[in-house]
Amino acid sequence: MGLRIRLSRQTLAVLDALLSRPGQWLHGYSLSQSTGIPSGTLYPILMRLEKLHWLETRWEETRTPGRPPRHLYRLAGTAREWAREEIRAAQERRFWKSSENEA
Amino acid sequence: MSVGKQEIPASARFARWLLEWAVRHWPEETRPWGLALAAEIDETASAFETVRWSLGGIMLFARSVLSGAWAWMKLPAGGSLPAASGPQGPSLLPKRSRVFTVVILATAALLLFLPVGREAIRTVRASWQGFQESPSDQRTLEELAARAEKEKDAGTLAFVALSTTDPKRAAALTERAISLDPKLIWVYGARNHRPDFDPPREEWLTRLKAVDPGNAVPDLLMASALADPRVDMLYAHGTPKDADFEVLADSQWKLLMERAYGAPRYDSYFLKHYQLTRTVWNRERNLPPTFIFSGLWSHAIPDLRNLMSFAKFKMYQARKARAAGDLQRAESLIGEVDVFALRMADGSGTKIEKLIALAISESANKRLADLFATSARQQDARRVALRLDEIERSIKGMRPRGDPGGRSGGQLAFRREAMLLQGFGILAVLAGLAALASVLLLEMWPGRMRNAQTRWRSALCWMADCAPATLLVAIGAFLMSFLPFQHAFAEYRASSYMLLNDERLMGAMWGLMEIPEYVMGVHARVSIWAFATIALAALLVFVLVRSIYRTRRAASKPA
Repeated sequence: MGLRIRLSRQTLAVLDALLSRPGQWLHGYSLSQSTGIPSGTLYPILMRLEKLHWLETRWEETRTPGRPPRHLYRLAGTAREWAREEIRAAQERRFWKSSENEA
Repeated sequence: MSVGKQEIPASARFARWLLEWAVRHWPEETRPWGLALAAEIDETASAFETVRWSLGGIMLFARSVLSGAWAWMKLPAGGSLPAASGPQGPSLLPKRSRVFTVVILATAALLLFLPVGREAIRTVRASWQGFQESPSDQRTLEELAARAEKEKDAGTLAFVALSTTDPKRAAALTERAISLDPKLIWVYGARNHRPDFDPPREEWLTRLKAVDPGNAVPDLLMASALADPRVDMLYAHGTPKDADFEVLADSQWKLLMERAYGAPRYDSYFLKHYQLTRTVWNRERNLPPTFIFSGLWSHAIPDLRNLMSFAKFKMYQARKARAAGDLQRAESLIGEVDVFALRMADGSGTKIEKLIALAISESANKRLADLFATSARQQDARRVALRLDEIERSIKGMRPRGDPGGRSGGQLAFRREAMLLQGFGILAVLAGLAALASVLLLEMWPGRMRNAQTRWRSALCWMADCAPATLLVAIGAFLMSFLPFQHAFAEYRASSYMLLNDERLMGAMWGLMEIPEYVMGVHARVSIWAFATIALAALLVFVLVRSIYRTRRAASKPA
């Protein structure tokens, strides 16, 4: 079971990106592209979310020859609801604004 | 879209290589995340993106290394992270974490690195070398001389000349200092030269005499150099009689001594030497006290036996005049001795010179008292008796009180502090060695330590826990007990009250040498045997007590 935590703006952005395609496995680079968060910040967030059991991870099965397997991420079932709540609460507090809202 | 290998610019290639290197060295616990990050680099759309992604990876790598190191530091010495040693880890480990040990050791090192710590180490180290200059001290002096030569600093050159143990170097530096500043000509007569503490060179004393003709000291030093062999012969079979000094009557020595007795001033230049030392030490705070001690200690003062010999020779002449009925000449001859002694006592810069002068004056006044008593000059006899009382009081006032070992007041005042300082210094060294040995054994041979007998492992863990803390406490106490010495040094540097502070400084240094002399000096064998006897006795008592305890415990257990 996952733990509830205080979330930073970057973490909320990552959760938002993961929630935008719930259930779908995403790559680190695409998460970085969609959130604008650099790798040095993104991966510690992913590591933390995984440690808290919010994130499910797996290695890509279909391998491109000459390339290492890629890591995939998606929010765990229960964590999706928590993530939505957190995002809503952050928006209400005006702590964070989703990029979709901004647009 | 990805960047093809053929068109990858050098910056991106370097970024990829860097990330690959980081993945190879990634800590085991977070390695999959490093691989995950590295696997994405092929997706980057431009060289800039590749570099940016790689830099992020390097940051993550650094973070992982640091967090791994922190996790490792939180374990006790010899402990390993679960990935390396398995979930159980070693069975017996120290209680304190590596962080605790490192913080304690770093604090201890920091304390020693403070100015007071460095000064304490320099001083105590010098005391264990008997305040003799070591090769590193000589190098320090040479560096000082080189800097002084560059800056044309005659004072510092003179200081080095007065401090170095190399006679050739001392001679060259003396000449150089005086050529730069002729006022420093007193340096010619300020130092006995090692290894045998020979008096200053004759040509130097002649030059000094030419510049300072009213001073008795150059003549006295020259006379010391001249008369040494004959005076030695006179004293070879105990204290010579007054008549024995007749052999010295027709000599260059007598002429020089007569000239010294007639000189209007007595100045052994100790005050100038002291002030030069003080000035240089104030400027060069990092100088070890060895230079100050050895420099002032080798200051040239007229030879006691030489002075006494001439006084006795004069008094023998007076006795002969008295026997011939020429009382006036006898009184005049003894009076010359007394006047010289008074002049010497007034002009001397050291306690030993004052004591010599008072001893000569006392001897002369006793002869005068005898002369006046037999010639019925009651008033003069009373005056001389009063003078003798005064001399006696002065001598008593200068003698160390209540110490059969003949230690000075300064030395006695610092005795307890010196014992504490040396004691805590030794404790700190032992605790430091114990900490180092226990931590290194646990860290470098954890497997062997794990398989060692329980009592050895316990002892090692106990040492790793207690030795660093003991080291810190010992260093704190060491520095606290150094404060009186630091105060004495500061007092010496800051004041111009020569005699008192000189005595305190010398007392402090003599006090410090007591334990090293006992351990390494003539008493070394006695100390080693005493230590071995006490240690063996303690071991015997321990074994006996343990066996009694075990026997009683076995007896009290029900069958």
